[in-house]
Amino acid sequence: MKKLPLEGVRVADLSHFWAGPAATARLAEMGAEVWKIESPSAWDNGRTLIHQPGVETPWESSYWFQAWHRDKKSVTLDLAQGRGRELFLELVQHCDVVVENYRADVLDKLGLGWEVLRATKPELIIVSMAAFGKVGVDAELVGFGPVVELMSGLTARTGYGDRNNEPFRAGVAYGDPVAGMAAATAVALGLIRRRRTGEGCVIDLAQRETAAAMAGESFVAASLTGATPVHRGNRSERYAPQGCYRAAPSSTELGAARDEQWVVISCRDDADWAALAAALGRPDLAELELAVRLERHDELDSIIDGWTRSRDAQDIMELLQSHGVPAGRVLDSGSILDDPSLQRRGFWVYLPHPRMRRHKQFRSTWRFIEANPQLRRHAPIFGEHNEEILGGVLGLSAEELAQLEAARIIGSVPINPGIG
Amino acid sequence: MDAATPPLEGVRVLELGTGIAAAFAGRYLAGYGADVVHVDVDTRAPLTPEERIYLLSGKRSVPCEPGEVRRLAGLADIVIEDCPTGLLDAWRCDPATLRAERPELVCVSVTPFGRTGPYAEFQATNIVSFAMGGIMSVTGDPDRSPLVTGGSQAEYLGGLNAAGAAITAYYGRLAWGEGDWIDISMQECLASNMELFASGTSYGDPVQLRMGNQVRPVWAIYPCGDRWAGVFCLQRQIPALYAVLDDPELDDLRYLDPLRREEVQDELTAKLYAFFAEHGPAELLEMGRKHKVPFGVAMTPADLLEAEGLRERGFFDTVETDQGPATMPGRPFPGIPWRAAEATVVEVDAAAALSSWTEAR
Repeated sequence: MKKLPLEGVRVADLSHFWAGPAATARLAEMGAEVWKIESPSAWDNGRTLIHQPGVETPWESSYWFQAWHRDKKSVTLDLAQGRGRELFLELVQHCDVVVENYRADVLDKLGLGWEVLRATKPELIIVSMAAFGKVGVDAELVGFGPVVELMSGLTARTGYGDRNNEPFRAGVAYGDPVAGMAAATAVALGLIRRRRTGEGCVIDLAQRETAAAMAGESFVAASLTGATPVHRGNRSERYAPQGCYRAAPSSTELGAARDEQWVVISCRDDADWAALAAALGRPDLAELELAVRLERHDELDSIIDGWTRSRDAQDIMELLQSHGVPAGRVLDSGSILDDPSLQRRGFWVYLPHPRMRRHKQFRSTWRFIEANPQLRRHAPIFGEHNEEILGGVLGLSAEELAQLEAARIIGSVPINPGIG
Repeated sequence: MDAATPPLEGVRVLELGTGIAAAFAGRYLAGYGADVVHVDVDTRAPLTPEERIYLLSGKRSVPCEPGEVRRLAGLADIVIEDCPTGLLDAWRCDPATLRAERPELVCVSVTPFGRTGPYAEFQATNIVSFAMGGIMSVTGDPDRSPLVTGGSQAEYLGGLNAAGAAITAYYGRLAWGEGDWIDISMQECLASNMELFASGTSYGDPVQLRMGNQVRPVWAIYPCGDRWAGVFCLQRQIPALYAVLDDPELDDLRYLDPLRREEVQDELTAKLYAFFAEHGPAELLEMGRKHKVPFGVAMTPADLLEAEGLRERGFFDTVETDQGPATMPGRPFPGIPWRAAEATVVEVDAAAALSSWTEAR
């Protein structure tokens, strides 16, 4: 079997919630051994982000936690206690990479700042992922994905273009997965550099910066012309008509989504428009050029909307695509689970978990055709690998492990689990 | 290699590009030292002038001549492509053929729906890929249509995935001697990041639709003078937020207990509207800094170009263009040597690119 690229790489993962766990999840998918290290008293609050009334151990059965911690191992260590900190530094000597996304001041307050880690193992690749970086005048600002999105320029470019230019946040904490993907990339670059120079490195990733890099052309425009973002809703200056149109209620979708069926259509050029006009039964409009289409966008939207409203969203997409017109359904959290392409490509998989119901989970978006990464194991149970790693790697005896547990330096149950 | 040299120095990358995705991936590789040759493949949706400045600066560009492209591919370490289905097969430049000839080669395809499956030949622009990736269904006002996010996030996210996969696969080649072919679907890149929603629905939760700017009072965007700002608090940050609001009513358990907060949702929303109206953006950020509350202000790219926090960290690169100096995001993260582009894309003929790669070899 072909090896995955990161086999043999070991990662100490101090990260919480999404941005950091997304990075280390990707490293695990690519073959790295990832040790998720949590304190029994300061554990990853992402475990209980979802309220699960009546569930006995909700910190073990969150589909959120499951999604971002598959193929990792769990070690508990209270880093605020001296012995916990010592053991962490011993573990680090067996690792290639440390990833953390604490608030900018936390690692230093734990006595585990960059200099301490580098002194422990100079060839370490250390990735810190504070929202605004650990160094600089904004380092004391705090935030998650939506704050990062606001402060990076992305939110200001999203909206319907009215109501005092109200900007809209993405419906997910978008800054997090962007930072996570960038951090995983940073690790790979650090590993390449280490092979070539023998040196480790410290990467002070600021989530705001990785988000801002996702819209660099708007900075070019602003610097050349002073241009500020113009909301266009779902329209485009380049492609017209372009929009999101209501389709007929679904006969199969359940609940709220039944009446919320939408399609997007986007005409790149005159040929796309001519094909769309033909499908709409309006060959009289087929010759309209881009400038006219932009000018008459409201009228064209009305015609398109009148056509889509009585048709099934999937049928509209397939019909227009058969004529080469870019069109797609607005898939929601239900319909996306049944999308034919994602199904056929094996994107959704079932991964057994001892305390969770069977449910669909996404697989790696990095489809290495030959190495073929697969999900191997569910997210670990809290402290599940304490004995394997603290005993097996560091050589602690059963008695020592018991003493650590008595002192609450390690544990198998989070202290004070509440809502995350 | 000395420590100041970018890690991908000497790595040859062929970028067969039609859109943002391959070009953004190539931008990461060029900045971290690779020699990137971009091939301007004909497309019905070409890059804008601003996108060309941002995405192609620091690269060389050659005309699209299939025979020459084939020869360049034979010398590349990494090939990144976002071409229409079938085009590369016609040129005998498809990843399977290239990989069969040179197992050390890394190939990355980044396309709207991936190279396999029933939608492999579907046509898409950014909004189509974005809609099919699910995030659009939860973005926007509940009483209006779903909303695409600003810029071209489906394509950028695909490009970011392509960059990460290419670099990781190249590390794999150094470690194990072989490359791979990575097939990246923009739809999948988005669908894997539906936060709580797709997994939740699969687990039995209702379908979640768009929630607007105010998911909860403490996870929301509010008007702030003539600007917009937001607060996004986890439960552990609620005490700090309430301390900033300085309102004794907030000591009530209905405000403190996350399971009871819904009882006072309207009252808390009203308090936050008033709070944001009373404080300017700079004051908000200062309070956030002091009290560790996650406040944010909707900043524009023009605002950010002036932001001290980005400038002092050396975030921006500047290249000369016909219209004057263009400033844009530079290294995505510090700590690994980055080679800032000195100029916009340099047009060369394929023979010159081939010659330089042959000599280097």
